Amino acid sequence: MAPIRLANPAPVLGAFRASSRQAPRWNCMWRSYHSYDYNQPPPFPAAESAILSRAIEHVPGYGFTVDALKLGARDAGYLDASTNLLPRGVFDLVDYHLVMQRLALKDSVQFPDAEGGKKVGVGSKVRTLTLARLRANEPIIHRWQEALAIMAQPTYIPPSLAELARLADEIWFLAGDTSVDTSWYTKRATLSAIYSATEVFMTQDKSSNFKETEEFLDARLEDNMKLGKAVGGFAAWADFTAHSAVNVLRSKGMRI
Amino acid sequence: MPPRLPVIAHWACPSTPATRVSIFSFRRCASSSATSPEIYDVVCVGGGPAGLSLLTGLRNSPITSGLKVALIDGQDLQKSRLPKDASLGSFSNRCSSLTPASVRNLQEIGAWKHANASRIQPYQEMQVWDGVSDARISFDWDTARPLLTPRKPSQPTTIAYMIENVNTTSALLGRLEELGGVATFSSTKVESIELGKDAEDLDLSSWPILTLSNGKTLAARLLVGADGANSPVRSFAGIESRGWDYGRHGVVASLKLEGPGRGGAEHKIAYQRFLPTGPIAMLPLPGNMSTLVWSTTPERAAKLKSLSPNDFIAMVNAGFRLSTADLEYLHSIPSGQAEEIAWRGKHTPINEAQIPTNVVEVQAGTVANFPLKMRHADTYTGERVALVGDAAHTIHPLAGQGLNQGQGDAAALVKTIEHAVTTGQDIGSLLALEQYNSDRYAENNAMLGVVDKLHRLYAVESGPIVGLRSLGLRAVDAMGPLKGFFMNRAAGGA
Repeated sequence: MAPIRLANPAPVLGAFRASSRQAPRWNCMWRSYHSYDYNQPPPFPAAESAILSRAIEHVPGYGFTVDALKLGARDAGYLDASTNLLPRGVFDLVDYHLVMQRLALKDSVQFPDAEGGKKVGVGSKVRTLTLARLRANEPIIHRWQEALAIMAQPTYIPPSLAELARLADEIWFLAGDTSVDTSWYTKRATLSAIYSATEVFMTQDKSSNFKETEEFLDARLEDNMKLGKAVGGFAAWADFTAHSAVNVLRSKGMRI
Repeated sequence: MPPRLPVIAHWACPSTPATRVSIFSFRRCASSSATSPEIYDVVCVGGGPAGLSLLTGLRNSPITSGLKVALIDGQDLQKSRLPKDASLGSFSNRCSSLTPASVRNLQEIGAWKHANASRIQPYQEMQVWDGVSDARISFDWDTARPLLTPRKPSQPTTIAYMIENVNTTSALLGRLEELGGVATFSSTKVESIELGKDAEDLDLSSWPILTLSNGKTLAARLLVGADGANSPVRSFAGIESRGWDYGRHGVVASLKLEGPGRGGAEHKIAYQRFLPTGPIAMLPLPGNMSTLVWSTTPERAAKLKSLSPNDFIAMVNAGFRLSTADLEYLHSIPSGQAEEIAWRGKHTPINEAQIPTNVVEVQAGTVANFPLKMRHADTYTGERVALVGDAAHTIHPLAGQGLNQGQGDAAALVKTIEHAVTTGQDIGSLLALEQYNSDRYAENNAMLGVVDKLHRLYAVESGPIVGLRSLGLRAVDAMGPLKGFFMNRAAGGA
């Protein structure tokens, strides 16, 4: 019962969560706006951060398991039992990886203002960022299927999807997308789909330097562009048809 | 009715404002006459087929012939006339297919007899087929009648008339010259159009005032925009035009075929094959000549234009014969299409009876291309403004309806102005013009829609849509009366 309760941050349960690490993080992180003037608070409290950051080093050897967590706790100078700080167990380890890699994106990928006098398009920025995020999975890619399995547990699906959405949002934000229309949603939705598909593909990729993953990503992005064109074309057609219907009625003397 | 006419004509007579102006300018100092505009009842901007047809219609009608009309064209109108000694061996690459309804209109306004008849080619049959599935439909009035009913002697046999645009304009100019009475400003550009001022003697605040490049200013009771797709008149009136670019180019050329065609000189056949990139059409001209309209992607259009005449001819022949995969490959090789096609032709089963005869020659300098788009203005009328032809709508050329729509517009606007004059209305008022918009808008909109859907339907290369469209085409082909209905619509509701 406990994991379910904590995985679903319903307001009623807020009091119970107060003792877990989730609560302060939630309260600090949740802002309805973004400000460039204030630094974002650290995503994890100090003790958990210490345990998880050491535990993640053991993932290549032990996978996303309780063993890795325990070893991490020991490395950080805590008792094995202190892993109880992390009520969601191994999922917290997966979540830590996802959050840290997402936040690392803004430092690891830098776009020069103008490259040789030519501006980098939003599309190619998105590609670079997505690729950088995928590359961040490289050290643990042979263990990533375990992580996917954990994320696919019914309890953890909502927070996993939420994290995926935050990643897509981060990528579009860093790429400099400033759209304020409905494409804000479609862009994030399509990128989420493309990213997760490519991530699964990457776990199976045996090519050198993940070349095939890169090709796979490019193919998906191209599909998306075609789809975008089709959607745009349909929107133009619908707009024209609506206007012409009104115009025909007006030509027949209707006052609209 | 006839006894009333002089009164009515006097009412709407342009001389009323004109004399008033002259009286005032006579009374006042000379400086005001230099700045006050010359007043016209109808000013038509653009001397294309639609604009000329409108003016000819106005001059030809006894009701509207009293109107003071002006024509402004940025180009030299004499240059858009067919030379008297034009040989039948060479044709302009800008040809149109005039429907019987348009021809009837041209006959009524007396312009048809001014056309060079030897350069007009009526055609009696049309073969249309799907480039992917080869489903075919043939249009001729004989198969389009109900089963077992005898052929009516009054039934027309001609589907449409192929005519060079320059022949149409010279016929109209010839008739206009005969009628006279049009103030023509040829090679004169419209510098600006703005609303007039409310002077104490004359209130022109709702009148468009045109400033011309020769320094003249004209005030128009009714300003007609026949000035093409980027109409300055339309932008003056603030009428939005909507639509899209097809991302296709039309490649045109004048071609010489092996012979007069499969039906002989008396039974000419037009051919159109729908390829996924756009339709390719071969339309008959007098003798062994034909005109080509090939809608294709801009890259392929550029490629076709760059080919040697020999390769170009081979590509046109291949366009009617080879599969879409073959054509795609042929566009990708830099040269040597002729040999490649000769070899491929031997290995492709072709029913020679159903396709145009071989092209043997392309007339030098006639290969050209233009972008295809669809546009429709929100309305054709504004206060003292009416739009006709391409200024009002631009259509995909696959059904050859663009010029005919313009002719229909001109005829409808003449009718509307006639009605306004007989009932003593101000011909520039929105109320008087309402009928014109009501007559034409829905009809043109339907035609634009149908042609656009056809383009989209045949742009599909594979999948169930190909099967369905082929089934539909064959079904229509088998049902005579239904086919007759479509042919009637395409012929302008004849």
